[in-house]
This record gives sequence, C-alpha cells and structure tokens, in this order.
Amino acid sequence: MSLDAYRITSEPYYQPHGEEIEIFRAAYDERLPVMLKGPTGCGKTRFVEHMAWRLGRPLITVAAHEDMTAADLAGRYLLEPEGTVWHDGPLTQAVRQGAICYLDEIVEARQDTTVVIHPLTDARRVLPLEKHNEIVPAHADFQLTISYNPGYQSAVKDLKESTKQRFLAIDFSYPPPQIESAIVTRESGADAALADILVAIGQRSRNLQGHGLDEGASTRMLIHAGRLVRGGLPLATAVQSSIVLPITDNPDVRAALRAAIDACMP
Amino acid sequence: MSTAAPLSPVQATSATQTLRQMMRQRDALRAPFEATWKELSKRWSTDDLDAWAAAVLALANVNIGPTGLIAYWDVSRSDTAAGIAPLLEAADAATEICRNAGARAAALSLKSLPIARNAFASEPMLTRWWSALRGLSREAPEVIEPMALRMSTILAPGSIDAFENFIAAGLKLAAGNKAVRLDYFTLQHELTRRLVSREFGGVDFAETERHLKTFVTALLGRVPLLRSLPPADTAIPRRASIAGPLIRLPDVYRGFEGDAAWSLYRAAAAHAHAHLVLGSDRFIVGKLKPLQIVLVGLIEDARIETLAMRQLPGLRRLWAPYHTAKPAGIATAPALLARLSRTLFDPDYADDDGFVAKGRALFGQSSPRLEDPAISREIGMLLGNDLGQMRVQFNAKTYVVEPVYRDDNLGLWDFDEPPQANAEVLEMFVDAARIEQQESDDAPRQENQAPDSEAGKARSVAPDQRGTVLATYPEWDRRHGIERPEWTTVREVAAVRGDPKRITEALDRADVLRGRVAQLVRGLRVGRSVRLNRQHDGHDLDLDAVIDAGLALRTGQDPDPRVFRSSTSKHRDLATLLLIDTSQSTSDRLASGATVLDVERLAVAVLAEAMQALQDPFGLLAFASDGRDDVKLTTVKAFGESYGADSMARLDGLASGYSTRLGTALRHAGAVIAPATSFRKLVLVLTDGEPSDIDVDDPADLIEDARRAVMNLHARGIDSFGVVLGSAGITAASRIFGRGNTMLVHRVEDLPSRLSELYFRLARR
Repeated sequence: MSLDAYRITSEPYYQPHGEEIEIFRAAYDERLPVMLKGPTGCGKTRFVEHMAWRLGRPLITVAAHEDMTAADLAGRYLLEPEGTVWHDGPLTQAVRQGAICYLDEIVEARQDTTVVIHPLTDARRVLPLEKHNEIVPAHADFQLTISYNPGYQSAVKDLKESTKQRFLAIDFSYPPPQIESAIVTRESGADAALADILVAIGQRSRNLQGHGLDEGASTRMLIHAGRLVRGGLPLATAVQSSIVLPITDNPDVRAALRAAIDACMP
Repeated sequence: MSTAAPLSPVQATSATQTLRQMMRQRDALRAPFEATWKELSKRWSTDDLDAWAAAVLALANVNIGPTGLIAYWDVSRSDTAAGIAPLLEAADAATEICRNAGARAAALSLKSLPIARNAFASEPMLTRWWSALRGLSREAPEVIEPMALRMSTILAPGSIDAFENFIAAGLKLAAGNKAVRLDYFTLQHELTRRLVSREFGGVDFAETERHLKTFVTALLGRVPLLRSLPPADTAIPRRASIAGPLIRLPDVYRGFEGDAAWSLYRAAAAHAHAHLVLGSDRFIVGKLKPLQIVLVGLIEDARIETLAMRQLPGLRRLWAPYHTAKPAGIATAPALLARLSRTLFDPDYADDDGFVAKGRALFGQSSPRLEDPAISREIGMLLGNDLGQMRVQFNAKTYVVEPVYRDDNLGLWDFDEPPQANAEVLEMFVDAARIEQQESDDAPRQENQAPDSEAGKARSVAPDQRGTVLATYPEWDRRHGIERPEWTTVREVAAVRGDPKRITEALDRADVLRGRVAQLVRGLRVGRSVRLNRQHDGHDLDLDAVIDAGLALRTGQDPDPRVFRSSTSKHRDLATLLLIDTSQSTSDRLASGATVLDVERLAVAVLAEAMQALQDPFGLLAFASDGRDDVKLTTVKAFGESYGADSMARLDGLASGYSTRLGTALRHAGAVIAPATSFRKLVLVLTDGEPSDIDVDDPADLIEDARRAVMNLHARGIDSFGVVLGSAGITAASRIFGRGNTMLVHRVEDLPSRLSELYFRLARR
C-alpha cells in the first residue's frame, strides 16, 4: 500500500520560537524518537506536519484514546470470504514504509497499549507482531513522535517511566507575545492591532492558570477569535464565544475573566 | 391583670360563656370586647367563635393585660379575609411570648402583626415569623420588646429568610452577651445596620472578594492577598490601604450599591494591585512635609496607572468614571489635588490653573523615564513646595485621597526608620504601622494556639466542663484477658471555632500540592470505564474472539459463543472517617516553626477539599483523652453536614492537649461510621505516636486494646488504616493496624501530600 495519501504537499505554516526545528532535524537524522510536550493548542501538531513536509516524509497521525488497544496500532486479522487476512495497523504501516508516525495525546491510551512502541524506540528498532508471528524491522526513514500534555498529568494518566525515558523531549509553550501576535495575524487574517489585543487577552487567561482555570486560552482559540472578528463579529462577542465560554463553566471565573478582558480592549 | 379569676373547668361549659362572664366584670374591656364580638359573630360560626374565645381566655390566663387583649381584638377585626386559623396561631404564639418575655413584649408583638401581614403575603411565612419570635422569646426574652417596636425597619427587606437570618446573626454575634444583643436588636450595632442595608442591594467586601481575587490575578498575573478593612470610627470615609503585601479594601463603600459597588471594588483592587506589581520599593520619608508626601503619592498613582494602561488600555474605562474634578470652584488644596489627579489621568481634560498645568508639564517631561519611581519623588517634592507657597489650607488629618478608588498610599512609605519630620507626618503613619504590626502578629498566632503548658496530662477539669457523655465502651484488659465492660467514657467536647480564613490561606500557600490533589480528584471522578472482553452480549464485537470463533468453526471445533465486548464503569462507594490525634505531643514544633498539629490541619484540609469535590461522604473527628472516663471527641465535620466555612473554622480551632487513648476512639469511630450506607467504610487514623494515657502504666495495654478495637471494626466490615507521623510510633501502629494497613510518614512536612495520595490509593482499591 502506498503512503502517498499521507504525504504533505504544501508547506504548513509554522513560526518557530526556539530551536525546535534544529532539534527535531537532529533527532530525525539519528532516528531518535521525540516527545512534544506542551499545553493544548500551542502548535504541536502543526509543528510535526511542518517537519514532515521539511523532511519530505509521509506523516501517519494516530489520535490515542482510552479504548485503544495494541491491535489498533499494530494490526489484526480480519475475516474475509476466503479466510482470515492480516491487516497492518497504522503504526506497522509507518514502520514498514518509512513514515513519521505521530501518536497524538499518548497519555490517553491505556498503558498496555503504549508498551508496543518500546521495541521501536530503542536500539532494536523493530516491531514484533506476535499475532502475525513476525518481526518487522523499521524502515530506515521511520521515526516515532508522540505528544503529551503535562497539564493532564495525574496518577491515573501519566506516562510510565519506561516509556518517558525513551524519548527526546521538546518543550512547547505559548509563544512570546510578538511571535504569537504574528501567528494570530497570519492564521486568522486579523490586523496587527487586533492580534495584539487578542494576545493580551490570552495572557490574562493564562494568568488564571491554576487559579480558577486549568489551562489558559490557547493560540488556537485566539486565532478562532480573530477569524470571527474578521468575519464581521464585534470583538467582544467574538471573544466571549471563542474564549470565555469554552474555557470555563464557573460563573465566578467567567465574570472575573470578562472584566479582565475588558481591561485589554482599547 | 390580677383580677382575672382562675377558671374552673366545672363552670366552663363553653369558652364563650366563660369569656362573656369574665368581661362582664371588666368595665374597661367590656365595650371593645362587645364591638369585636359583634363583628366576629357576623363572620364566623359558633364553633369558630368558641375557639376564638378559648384563645382569648388563654391570653388572659397568662396575664397579657388589657393592652394585649385589645391588640389581639384589633388584629382579629382588621383582617377580614383570613380565616380563624392564623388568629388562633397568633394567640398561641402571643401566649408563649407572654410567658417567656412578659406581657408588654407579647402585646407589642401582636401590634406588629399587621406590619408582618403587609410584608409577607402568605400564611406559611407568617407562621415562620411567629415561630422565629417564639424561638427568640425563649433564647433572648429581653429583645422582643425593642425589636417589635422596630419591626417595620427590620421587615423592610420583605423576605422571611432575611428576618430569620437577621435573628440568627444577632444571636450568634452576641453569643450570650446581653449588652451586645440589646445593641443589635435595637439596631444600634454596626452589623445590624449593614444587614438591614445589605438587603437593599448593598455590596460588601466579603461578597466581592473571590471575584476580585480572580480578576486581579488575571490582570497582572500575581495572586493578591486581599483583606477587609473595618469601617472607621470617625466620619472620614475609608479608602483602600496597602500594608506590606496585603491589600486592604473597605468593608463597604458607603453610597455605592449594586453594580456601582462592584465596579468600584474592581477599580480599587486593580489600582492597589498595580502598586504592588508595577510600583517599587517604599519611599523614605526623610524630611518631607505632609503635603509633599501626599503629592509624591499622587504622582506615583499617576505613574503606575499610566504604566498599567500602557499594557491594558481598557483600565482607563474602569478608572475614568471616578475622576470627576472640574476646572472651577474654589482652589482649596483637596480640590487642586483632585484636579491634578484628573489632569494626569485624562489627557483630554483641560485645566488652566497654573499649579495643575505645571504638574501636567512636569509629568509629561518625565514620560520617557516612566519606569523609574524616582520621578514620583522628584515631581512630588517640587509640586509640594509650590502648593505650600500658595498658602492654601491643607489639613493632613482630614485629608482623604480622591478619587474614591485609590488607596491611602501609606503603603508607599517606609516608616521603619523613625521619621524626623513633624508630628503631623507621624500621625499619618500611626494607623499604617498598627496595621502592619497586627498582620505580622497574625502569623505566629496560629502556632501559639496550643493551650498553656499546664494543659498537659495532669490537669483536672471540673466535671461540668468535660462535655456531654456520648457513650461508654469496654476496654481490653491484657493481663487478665477479659474485656472490661463500660470501662471508658467518651465525651463530646464542643469545637472551638477558629478562623476559616487561616485554613483557606494555608491551602493557598500549598497551591502546588492542592493542584496535584485536584488532578487526582479529576482522574478519579471521571469513573474510568473498564472494558470487558469475550462477553455473551455487548455493544461491540470482540474482534479477537470473533476470529478465534471463526478459526474454531473452520477447524471443526466448537466455537466459543462469547464474541462480544462491553464496558462498564466502576463507581466508588466509600465512606471515610478521619480520626485526628490532637494529643499534647502534636504541639511539638518542627524545623519550619509550625507544629505537628498545624501540618495535620493542612493535611486534613487538603484531603477534605478533595473528598468534598468527589462527593464522597466523610467525617472528621478529633480525639484526645484524659483518663478512662474522659475520652474527648470533637466533631469537626459530621457525616451529614457539608464541608464548608463552619467545618474549617472548627478545624482551625483544634488545639493540642492530653493523651492518646486510641482504642476507645476507634470504637467510637466505628459507632459513628456504622450507620453510613456506603459499600466500603474506612476509618483513617492520623496519629503521631503510640497510644498512652495518664492512668495506664504500660503502653502495651493500650496497644493491645487498640488492636482488638481494629479487629472488631474489621469484623463489622469497617477497614481501618493508620498514618503514623515520625518513626517513633511505627512498631505500635503496625501491631495495631497490621503492617499492610500502616503508613509511616518520616518527615512530618510530607504528610499533606502523603495523606491525600493514600486516600486515593485506598479509594481505588
């Protein structure tokens, strides 16, 4: 099966704000697995797409979820009229054909599932398919990347030490104001002044992280707000529906956040 | 009314007859009675009239007096629409009030009934009004009279809840002190006025505190420490004040209600917090004159506001409404200062006064160095000189900072160094110094709570102070191998109420831990679903099972019919009782200066918050003992009540003292938790050593007894678990609870995190 559908043809926009591109490239050159850490909506997925485009590799993305089994990643036998047929899972496809496999929000997956990636992430670089009685050696171009939001971290959902220690990590956080403002401008089409206001609003909500909010407004939220404004919605309404309402259900926090946002408006 | 003859039941064939007979002898009452009777007999049946007559007789029998009777007749006549039931109730209530609080109080209560009728539309509300009065007449008979006289003011809010709240607040405030009580119910007390005015949309600090905290944190990214500032005794209106890291906001801003008050609190909090975040070190007073001090503060205000508005332009909208100075009128010092404030704040404001214009010019020139606090001092001194030479009147004692949202700026000045300036300046700082002193006193007070050292083991207590006897329990006699029945006595000791704020603050300081525990809570609350493979039925095919079945079919074997997959979610059903050891040894100090009990308190607060969030039923019980017939138990939180300010106050009020008779406490804990309906019941014991008591020589006796108590609990399906602080008690504890059910916390400081972790581990099992 060809992976052409997984190739990224045009450049996904990504604005670096550190050495993440160099680190990722160096890691890829050595085929070392990478872990992207950071809050939601700060550009982790976009970064992987951008890197896959830069490196010219197909990108297979798997969003992990609570019910994901090892078979969902590696593959399984399916019944067809003429008998049972083995189907490669997304991870096996990437391993065989040399793609970048990106496991999004890996902590969501059950811990027994994450263990299947262990042999791929050390010196062995193989994927044992015990049901198919096969050991798949990784293609020379294969690389594994996972993302991980430390905000969710809890005793219930945390990466095992044995998983964590196999990865290089790149820390993502919200970009500095000027860069974030440029990103908002680029992605939403808002003008620079509006982007500055939106970024200031974002910072207000991030100030409340741990004091009423679990996480502040993401860059993605700010972009959404910018788009709504560009589409003709008044700024206050746009911010209300794209930031204040989604981010919290607590009426007290909402009221306080709204007052703080009002202080950012010109 | 001594003439009212006692009624003999033989004579009283009917209440009507008796009453009429009585009235015949009473000249003063006869006419109004006849009039009332005539009117009522038109409305009611004979039975109703008889019931009414009986009610009047009851009133007469408690000697309510002519005033009271006439008042009752008046209210009987006046409400034509209502039936007889409310009137009978009124008579009944008035009878009780008369018995408790005297005739005058009862008569006045009856007279205020029409006011209550107007205020409350429905009968059930009137019933509650009467029962509130009845209750009050039992608890505080002397206040009924003055209160009834002021009923229209008190009922102005128009809701029975407000009325009940008013009474409850008064009784709580006075706590048995008659003078305070009278003060309160005659509406002389500050709190009364506030309570009554609150109902008309007044907003006070307590109401806005949470909102302000979140708001200001969002604005400037630092969590403020907010406190309330009680109203001053003088007529000078209160302004916000900064003392060290604390922002103190007035309890109420007089003259601001509803939304206006909320906006003002926001404006004041934002301004004060801007001082703390954007301001600088404190200024040295040196030889500055009062006027210069005021002006330096004013320029500093303008400086930090300009800085803040550069970041957050919308703050201008927040502050602008309060700058109302006009470029006209008499040029007094306060007026000029207000105009200067406005001109520095509002670029569109025009003022041709020379002084104001100079201020604006100087401030404008320094705008490139706005980050430098020194400009406030420079400009302030220059302008102070100018204003001084203009010979305008300035009185530092009566001066109030304007606009209203700004703080008094005393927090800007460093008064550690004795100011060499004149007495006026000194006076300005007295208040601020006192505040700071007070606040720094506050911190160690928490640790000093342990009672005086004599509260040790051998103190004898008067029997009536030992508290209510709750139960007696047997105790195991190790030497003789028998259980001695009714050996120990458990007494409930009423909790001392502390300050719930201190608990909240301790929690705030431990916010990292709190955040971690909150995340554990979230993980647990979701109720993770568990997937069941190879089921007979389910919502999905279990592919692996299907394939196995397919293989079996093809190879001619019997397939396993269980080819489905289903999921189920596990719910916790766990009730927990936390037993807190408050014996004398918990007053030991740790390296950090806090006592063991302080750490226990924080640990319990963190865990309680988590359990409350999970809505797991739990109780908190503190124990100590002073011999076998005085095992003291303090209920910090009962199972039935919810965890809130009340329980926090009791938690804060815990004090160290006495010994540890663990076995009895465990037996009682079993009795407390047994009625809980949860599937699992858990008694979690927090102790800092092995059991001991003054009347037991060999600690092994108590260890053995506690072990039996644990076994007993286990037999009744109640798990128990020991958390031991410091390694001293570990041998005893593992003997009591069993090795697997004991957790040792080496460093007492780790307790808060370890305790919560333990709970979550146990809760998942």
